[in-house]
Amino acid sequence: MTVLILGGSGSGKSAYAEETALALAGEGAKYYLATMEAGDGEALERVNRHRQMRKGKGFVTLEQPRSAGEALSRMGEKAQGATVLLECLSNLTANEMFSEEPPLSWQETADRIWGDLCRLAHGVGHLVVVTGNVFEDGVIYGETTAAYQRALGALNRLLAAEAGRVVEVVAGIPVTVKG
Amino acid sequence: MRLIIGGYAQGKADYAAGLLRGEKWVMAKGALPREEEVQGKIPVVDCLHEWVRERLLQGGRPEEELSAFLDRHPDCVLICDEIGNGIVPAEPFDREYRERTGRMLVELAGRADEVVRVICGIGQRIR
Repeated sequence: MTVLILGGSGSGKSAYAEETALALAGEGAKYYLATMEAGDGEALERVNRHRQMRKGKGFVTLEQPRSAGEALSRMGEKAQGATVLLECLSNLTANEMFSEEPPLSWQETADRIWGDLCRLAHGVGHLVVVTGNVFEDGVIYGETTAAYQRALGALNRLLAAEAGRVVEVVAGIPVTVKG
Repeated sequence: MRLIIGGYAQGKADYAAGLLRGEKWVMAKGALPREEEVQGKIPVVDCLHEWVRERLLQGGRPEEELSAFLDRHPDCVLICDEIGNGIVPAEPFDREYRERTGRMLVELAGRADEVVRVICGIGQRIR
């Protein structure tokens, strides 16, 4: 089953996504696909905070800031029965989009990531994807940021259509959108 | 404690007023009501996010200060904008304000007797 978990900054979506993945996995293998590149101080702090949260819960962490589909070959035979928690789509989208100069178009970005997500969803037991709600601040952004929002919006919609469950996390409370 | 959240201009304060009809209450906007104002009334904090922002700018500890306020006034009503549903801000302070407000809401929701999310003036009780 694929589960999509949406939330804003500080909404508690990561904690809820972990709980969801643990419940789906049972005794099966658990992988955490980490998309954030732990470059500067603030990103590193966030990565460390999430590492601390996951500690002792049995996740194998795979750093996958781009090309999420490659995680399949890294998991090998274990992939089929595994529960995979991908955190998060908003980072992955930025990493893919801005990995080239000039950046990819929103359509190219969404196509590339959608291909990876489809491979993952079919190759693993359960896929839990964390994504951001970056759409409701009422600010009209420049071309590049708007293209990013468009790519992520398209991916959220594609995933939501395929997912068995879609949950928005609000102040730590899961609100079911679908399923 | 009752927590009322939602986007900007969604009718949260009106919703709170409806909720408190017939009760004695005192509302402060972007601030915690002072003890001498409360005097047995139900304290209502509107625009809690503005208070959080102000306390952070002043070098305060909004989490601890609000927790102490809740200990004194477990019957209060807190109204806060959801400010985390946007593009990550460029300024470090804006990022911190946004994230700490979000995490405070998670904490507050865990402590609340009731959590209502207001959209288009309509309150959905999510806890």
